[in-house]
Amino acid sequence: MRKKGLLLVVALLAIMTILPAAGSQEKSTKPLRFIDVSPSPTRQEYFTTTFAKFKQETGLDVVYESVPWDDAANKLTVLGASNQLPDVMTTWAGWLGQFTEAGWVEPLNSYIGNSADEYAKTVTQLVWKAEKELYGNIYTIPDGMMVKGVFVRKDWAKEVGLNLDPTKGWTYAEYFDAVYKLTDPSKNRYGTSFRGSRGAFDPLFVYLESFNGGSAYAADGSTLMADQEAIDAYKKWNGLYLDGTAPKDAINWGFVEMVGNFTGGLTGTLINDSEVAATCLENMKPEQWMVMPMPKSDKDGKIYNTVNSPYAYSIASSSKNKANAWKLIEFLTRPDNNIEYCKLTGLIPIKTAVGNDPFYGPNGPYAAFVQQLNDPAMVVPVAFGPFNFTDMHQGMMHEEMQKYLLGKQSAKVSLANVVYELEKRMKAYLAENPGSAVEQPKGLF
Amino acid sequence: MAMVFLYLVLLAILCGLGIWMINKHTRGGRVCFSPSTKRRAEPYLFLFPTMLLLVLMFGYPLINSFVMAFQNYKLTAPTKIAFNGLANFKKLFSETDIWLIIQNSFLYVLFSVAGQFLLGLTLAMALNKRFPFRGLYQAIIFLPWSFSAFVIGLMHRWSFNGEYGVVNDLLLKFSVITEKIAWLGTPGYSLAVVIFAMIWMGIPFFAIMILAALQSIPAEMYEAAAIDGCGVIRKFFQITFPYIKPTVIVTVLLRTIWIFNSFDLIVVITNGGPANYSQTLPSYMYTKAFSSYDFGLASALGVVLMVVLVLYVALFLKTTKYNKAGNF
Repeated sequence: MRKKGLLLVVALLAIMTILPAAGSQEKSTKPLRFIDVSPSPTRQEYFTTTFAKFKQETGLDVVYESVPWDDAANKLTVLGASNQLPDVMTTWAGWLGQFTEAGWVEPLNSYIGNSADEYAKTVTQLVWKAEKELYGNIYTIPDGMMVKGVFVRKDWAKEVGLNLDPTKGWTYAEYFDAVYKLTDPSKNRYGTSFRGSRGAFDPLFVYLESFNGGSAYAADGSTLMADQEAIDAYKKWNGLYLDGTAPKDAINWGFVEMVGNFTGGLTGTLINDSEVAATCLENMKPEQWMVMPMPKSDKDGKIYNTVNSPYAYSIASSSKNKANAWKLIEFLTRPDNNIEYCKLTGLIPIKTAVGNDPFYGPNGPYAAFVQQLNDPAMVVPVAFGPFNFTDMHQGMMHEEMQKYLLGKQSAKVSLANVVYELEKRMKAYLAENPGSAVEQPKGLF
Repeated sequence: MAMVFLYLVLLAILCGLGIWMINKHTRGGRVCFSPSTKRRAEPYLFLFPTMLLLVLMFGYPLINSFVMAFQNYKLTAPTKIAFNGLANFKKLFSETDIWLIIQNSFLYVLFSVAGQFLLGLTLAMALNKRFPFRGLYQAIIFLPWSFSAFVIGLMHRWSFNGEYGVVNDLLLKFSVITEKIAWLGTPGYSLAVVIFAMIWMGIPFFAIMILAALQSIPAEMYEAAAIDGCGVIRKFFQITFPYIKPTVIVTVLLRTIWIFNSFDLIVVITNGGPANYSQTLPSYMYTKAFSSYDFGLASALGVVLMVVLVLYVALFLKTTKYNKAGNF
């Protein structure tokens, strides 16, 4: 009897120990949690210094957390599924479909209120407009803006007689021609940092859209990318790899390899975002590199280029400190803090109040990027879609392309497998969301 | 919720069983069973804490993954989780590359185990002889086993880099090849690199195990065989191998299971590429779980892996006559 009593006491004690921990509620006085999904020593120093300033001004503590980019999607997904997302997080636009579907992020419309006028057109006309169209609300405040450009080895271009003028721009035909001219395997030089692995379909998708006025879908959700013109464009793009303007290893290249091999002196061109300019400034001599705007469409002469933010600040819907979380975002995006951040990370500031900083002027390293944003011919093509495409982006999109590059599958089949899967998801989305419509390309003017 | 309940019920049954057994043995401070019965029950009592720990650590994930295999369980759509019968298994076997991945898994395990066994055996035989600095040499040889798979993966990824890798550089210098090979970007080669890395990493384990077995063979056996005029090959097959057979069977069994389940080297070196040509079932399961967050499909694959491994263990132990191994 005594033994049974003892067992009962032990069991009750165990339950009493577990229950308070399980049921504890976070108090609003707790420090804010912030997570950075692309940590580096520079970024961490910036954030910790800025958070110290934030504490001085507001008295609020912020705990800095980080997760390496390669694991970021997994970590945030696991945190989201277990209701443990930090109050403020840096997110990537590509995750928004998944995050909004799961209800993990807070709409920011009411927080932004009348302050929308303080933001640059790239934010209001592009990012927020797209978010409203795709997800019904504004969910992010960009950390900075970036636009793509073509990084070129200036010294190699001179050697092969290429006369490249960023202010005049170029067409895709001229870009392809330059890539072939810059290729010289006997000197261990290749014309392009070809992306064959994760993310490979992103620039190709924009190239395919340049034949359709920046669109990817018809109004009913049918794909516009399965006709002969699209197949020929698909072949032309992948021909860069098949014709040897990139090393064979490039079939496995992602962002790191592309940038590393450009700055390391193996490749002559690199299509990437303005954030890479910071890496070039750090690792290359000024006479070695330049930036050309993205090529104009061979079909209609317009520049189809993505404008987005590398990361953006969001508030977790599970946050118990939403008002303070917004205060932190406001502080991070205040013009003085934002311009400091953008210079460090190679971005274009998001507020109009930053004025005419010479760093972003015609003689600065960002001239070609800013010039595109001021070009009336620039159009922002549509994204893959409002649905969740993370699984495709991390697998099928580049795997289908790799099968074509390896000669295991025809261009027609490879392209069709991807675009018809996108079409299937787009049609399902339209059917599940009555009143929604296919996104349209956007201009800034 | 149902899962947690099921798990708690299982735990409660186990705890109840344990308490019942303790009570039976010590009621009123007096032993109730005869000494022989107590002896029979003893192993179970000793096993009880381990069993409890196993159930705590592995029981829940195992049961949960089995249940998830029959559910539409996407981490990104927590509100749409529901049972979907065999849909995950149907989807799994209708994936375009599934047969390529199965073939890769088979080749990966076969060549890795065979390579590790043959080279490990050779190394153990060599280290079984006395020579100066044998201890130091032994320590260096066993070093790869202490490295993490991540480090080994990175090392091979860079060594086999098509442009800057040391392997291409050496092969070009010795005129074995005339142009660089894209090791990680060519079907066949990419899997070969992963197998090479796995063999490199696993040789020491085989060598340690076999060396220990070799050192337990009485020297008189060889002396007697030498007097009878046995040659080296006959000594190996008539004395050495029968003695080390139980160790070899257990080591091969363990390594096969470990290699079959391992995915870290693949993820680090090739990430399954290009186009799934170096993807194996566990690395594919990892990809499905953590890139598409389709835990239902990944769990279905996990269940298939478990069934395959259980069948393999049963078949392997039967065909190798493990129970009779070591009988002379």
